[in-house]
Amino acid sequence: MNRVPIRLLAAFGIFALLTLVSLSTDGDPALVIGQFSTRFLGIFIEAAPFLLLGTLTSGLIESFVTRDDLVRFVPKNRLLSTVMGALLGFAFPVCECGVVPVARRLFSKGLPLSVGVAFLLASPVINPIVLLSTLTAFGFGPILVGRFGITLVVAVGVGLVFALSARPQDVLHAPALVPIGGESGEAIPLYVRTPRRSLRAGLQDALRNAADEFFEMGRYLIIGALLAAGMQTFVPQDTLLSLGRGPVVSVAAMQALAFVLSVCSTVDAFLALAFVGTFTPGSILAFLTFGPMVDIKSTLMFLSVFRRRTVLYLILLPLLMTMLIAVWLNLNVAF
Amino acid sequence: MGATDHTHAEEHSHEQGDVRKITLQAWLKPAILAGLGLYFNYNLASGNLTNYINVRFAWLSYLATMLFLLLAAVTAYDLINARRQGSQHTHDHGLSWAGLVVVAIPLALGTLIPSRPLGANAVEGDLASGITAVGGATAFTSDPLTWNVLDWLRAINGSDDLSGFNGQQADVVGFVYRAETFPPTTFMVARFVISCCAADAAAIGLPVIWDGAPELAEDTWVRVRGAFELGEFGGNLVPILHAETVERVPEPEHPYLYP
Repeated sequence: MNRVPIRLLAAFGIFALLTLVSLSTDGDPALVIGQFSTRFLGIFIEAAPFLLLGTLTSGLIESFVTRDDLVRFVPKNRLLSTVMGALLGFAFPVCECGVVPVARRLFSKGLPLSVGVAFLLASPVINPIVLLSTLTAFGFGPILVGRFGITLVVAVGVGLVFALSARPQDVLHAPALVPIGGESGEAIPLYVRTPRRSLRAGLQDALRNAADEFFEMGRYLIIGALLAAGMQTFVPQDTLLSLGRGPVVSVAAMQALAFVLSVCSTVDAFLALAFVGTFTPGSILAFLTFGPMVDIKSTLMFLSVFRRRTVLYLILLPLLMTMLIAVWLNLNVAF
Repeated sequence: MGATDHTHAEEHSHEQGDVRKITLQAWLKPAILAGLGLYFNYNLASGNLTNYINVRFAWLSYLATMLFLLLAAVTAYDLINARRQGSQHTHDHGLSWAGLVVVAIPLALGTLIPSRPLGANAVEGDLASGITAVGGATAFTSDPLTWNVLDWLRAINGSDDLSGFNGQQADVVGFVYRAETFPPTTFMVARFVISCCAADAAAIGLPVIWDGAPELAEDTWVRVRGAFELGEFGGNLVPILHAETVERVPEPEHPYLYP
């Protein structure tokens, strides 16, 4: 499942880079390549530790924490429970690559739809590791606050839309649906969890997972960083500004970029830095909020849990909501 | 897992070449991880790290060094274990050659291309139009002779009366930047300011007038001592540093300024 997008992405990245190189008019190639390398490595060196931290944390939680009992603590009130769903990521940090299987398991345990959808959309951003990486990249300020605020609003909003207008059987694929059936009946687990392992085995598993995931997600980070550094080095600033200054065009462009690049939410803040000088603040926020909710990677995973029509809603609602908020910010707020 | 493992192992035992290929590919994983760990450690030891990120975040590179080496050890341990148990097949998670190559790109760029900080060729045109806006003034209590380019620009941007800078002595270090529009005896003593990493680098600079300016090559690191005098630069009336001495200095340990 993952091979096709990474090849497409690699092809896209190489094509884009070649275009950029051919456009560039700067003199000494050694200096230009050195500059490109410095910018690329700057992003990679700053981001790689967070990627490792993220994969290790989710691996450790996977090994040692049983998330399934969580369902019992969900409040009855719809709004409260949806907000709680959006904040769950603080207890269980997972990036967007890990969130779908977790949400799927929680659904099968009887987690209400609105809570699960809010969790799905919010937790890639609303968790301690992304807080730390965004703080590192941007410091405490409007981008950090905006990223968390917008994500919370959009995730809860979409969750409530689902709560009001959809029944689980209209939304989920049959396999994910089965256990939800009876309101009072006991949930039938989709698959039986292995009993907790020893500390040693659990640690080994977590480290093994972290190594695999580093390669898995590192590729997206590296292709994204190559593109960002290439853009800064080879594209004339005037060209970037003509695209990046438009209050609406810049937002749409950054959303498209976020969708295509599929960079893990733990490190996307470092890519966004490359656009700060030339793109509107609203578009940076759109990149940092829409990307973690929806990208090529997560769309493929959504399709394994939800019906097609639902996936369409899960893409379109966050797309339109983040776009509206970002454009409104561009037009009305001086950063 | 066990069942498929078995059949795979049997298949492979018939095709030795295939096994060797898979083993090589499997060993590339710990090799790349270890390589990245060593590369991060090398950056810290050589001081090259300051070419890439704000030194405030050096602890992240220490952390990454340890984690990369730990992960390399764990994946290598798994491979050795698998071989000892006779199973050639270690479960690789769809890691293609292409995927491995992509992850090796930072290693290749980091080791093959000489490490250099961003210099004059990375400056985008807007430096020429005058003084780039940097944050407002902070309280300056220290001796102005210890101020760097960023401190001076903050003081200038936060000041209501620029004539107050007339005659003020300054002593700053930066690289030589020159745009085509500059008069021959004018250059800028420039620095990059980064808050996180080289991706957010912004160039700033002070205009300098010096008779020896035409002989200065762009990108040379210089220490400029002189006094400010209000003058026209890029269409604006700004304090211009009239240099008394300009000496070449080695590239500083921290090429970037941190806000």
